Amino acid sequence: MKRKVFIRYSSQKAEEPILASVIKESGLLVNILYANITGKGGEILISFDASEAEMDRILTLFREKGVEVWETERTIELDRELCFDCGACISVCPTKALRLNQDFSLELNEEKCICCEVCVSMCPVRALRISSKL
Amino acid sequence: MTEVKKTIEYINERIRSGDAVVVTAEEMVQIVKEKGSVKAAREVDVVTTGTFGAMCSSGAFLNFGHSDPPIKFGGGEIYLNDVPAYAGLAAVDTYIGATSMSVSRGMEYGGGHVIEDLVRGREVVLRGRGYSTDCYPRKEIETVITIEDLNQAILCSPRNAYQRYRAAANSRDETIYTYMGMLLPNFGNVTFSGAGVLSPLTKDPTYETIGIGTRIFLGGGKGYIFWEGTQHDPKRGLGTIAVVGDLKQMKPRYLRGCTIHRYGTSLYVGLGVPIPILNERIAQSAGLDETQIKTEVLDYGVPRRDRPVLREVSYAELRSGEIELAGKSVPVSPLGSFKLAREIALTLKEWIERGEFLLSQPLQRLPSDSVCRPMKQAEVTPLVRDVMTKEVITGRADYPIAEAAKILREKNIDHLPIVDEKGKLIGIVTSWDIATSIGTKKNRLSEVMTTRVITAHEDEPVDFVARTLEKHKISGVPVVNSGMEVKGILTSEDISRLLGRRKK
Ligand code: SF4
Ligand code: SF4
Repeated sequence: MKRKVFIRYSSQKAEEPILASVIKESGLLVNILYANITGKGGEILISFDASEAEMDRILTLFREKGVEVWETERTIELDRELCFDCGACISVCPTKALRLNQDFSLELNEEKCICCEVCVSMCPVRALRISSKL
Repeated sequence: MTEVKKTIEYINERIRSGDAVVVTAEEMVQIVKEKGSVKAAREVDVVTTGTFGAMCSSGAFLNFGHSDPPIKFGGGEIYLNDVPAYAGLAAVDTYIGATSMSVSRGMEYGGGHVIEDLVRGREVVLRGRGYSTDCYPRKEIETVITIEDLNQAILCSPRNAYQRYRAAANSRDETIYTYMGMLLPNFGNVTFSGAGVLSPLTKDPTYETIGIGTRIFLGGGKGYIFWEGTQHDPKRGLGTIAVVGDLKQMKPRYLRGCTIHRYGTSLYVGLGVPIPILNERIAQSAGLDETQIKTEVLDYGVPRRDRPVLREVSYAELRSGEIELAGKSVPVSPLGSFKLAREIALTLKEWIERGEFLLSQPLQRLPSDSVCRPMKQAEVTPLVRDVMTKEVITGRADYPIAEAAKILREKNIDHLPIVDEKGKLIGIVTSWDIATSIGTKKNRLSEVMTTRVITAHEDEPVDFVARTLEKHKISGVPVVNSGMEVKGILTSEDISRLLGRRKK
């Protein structure tokens, strides 16, 4: 099953190759969906295929290295009240998660969305937002 | 000569008696296809159009009424929710333009948002300053108003509803942020605006029925065309209209403030024009389908007024969501809402069918032979080749750092482009790179040089390079030809020298 994990780095941990060593130790194939790390710490969103048991092991590996980590359902949210179905967001989406349907209304396919946030800034009326159900 | 001849008066009679046949431009496509233009002209009285897109040349005149003691904003300053409004009219009149930006929130909130908030009936903070006169003694005021409190609120825009518009793509190796939205590097996406089959001026491209006094759907209320739009360019199929209407009657669904990321603020405007089908010629153009409506894809990666045309394209291709460009299939985004354009055409159709909206006889047609000229500039656009230093001192990757330090010091320069044995640019070293390498174990230039070099070309305008320097926070760029051979160097000093000369 595709799982998403959110890792928060403190400023002391930002310089350490934590993700790289977890990947090495677990042999996990990881997809980095979002990363924003500076000297002051930051966040990374990754996704991978894992069973329940594997998931526990991976979370433990991260925790042992001293970062905050949790499984997340962080998704992109479309505010239907604000969206006027222009379609500006469609062509910047790397995974074709956004499209106009038959009657020219915007459709967001949450299955395909990787939370890259690119569409958020393309939307002229801020109808797309990252929601963190943390 | 035409076979069918109807007048606007005759059509209005039919609207009044409830007999008028009104269809949207989308429906008209089918009718003309099936019956031909003569029969279509006999049967159909009015074709309704619609468009909903960002129109930057939009704004509104507002009148606040007088305070006590009175204040004269004219010659002073006016802010609406911190967005500067024009203070060059009389005491308490202003014009708020869509692209004016908040002094506190920047691009997140602008004149377009103020107009939307007014239409929504929300409270807006009015802050203003005057210089005090014997008749207007007051110097400052801060108050809260809603649209109800205004004597007049008149949407009045010098340029709306472009007949068609160019689609945009980007050849550069970096994402650029334009009024056509975010354009991904290396032709990563295409954006376009205009409502295609529903686009008002496209449906009467010689303006046989459109002109001063034409009554239209504007922002959810009724409005009028009061002049040709600015930059009206009929010969190239780029006509525009200037429109006016009572903001108090308008609806927030059809007037939306917006932020175009890293570009600025604007206003999305919903607008629809009824086209009376007076003859088969008009029936023909009102029935054009999207394969017949063409535009060009321009390269917005080239920061010049005349951008290169990448290809011709029909609105049907753009609407499909993907087009071929530079040998690959590229995703396409509309910028305007086709769904709302359709809704506007349908609303206008209903208004006319119910007899609530009569057509007006234009007092004067829009010009169909004028041209839009470029700005007259006092100086020729300076190009990189005119300003750059041509005698460039270059280095090699295997030079010792100490030697490069000596060169920079002796020649009093800050940038050392690094070339390979064939003279091709492979990197750059600045005096900063050298200064920060002192005390480290590094000793060859290859260890300190930047290999992803930002460059300029000889035929680029200097203003463009100035923006590149600012954007990447660097102080100079090597100038290269298409073979990456170094032809010169351009530094921020060279540019400020030029700008200094300009100011004199
Ligand atoms: S965040 Fe937006 S652009 Fe990114 S994948 Fe999801 S829908 Fe597409
Ligand atoms: S850009 Fe915003 S308003 Fe336009 S379709 Fe996408 S979410 Fe909706």
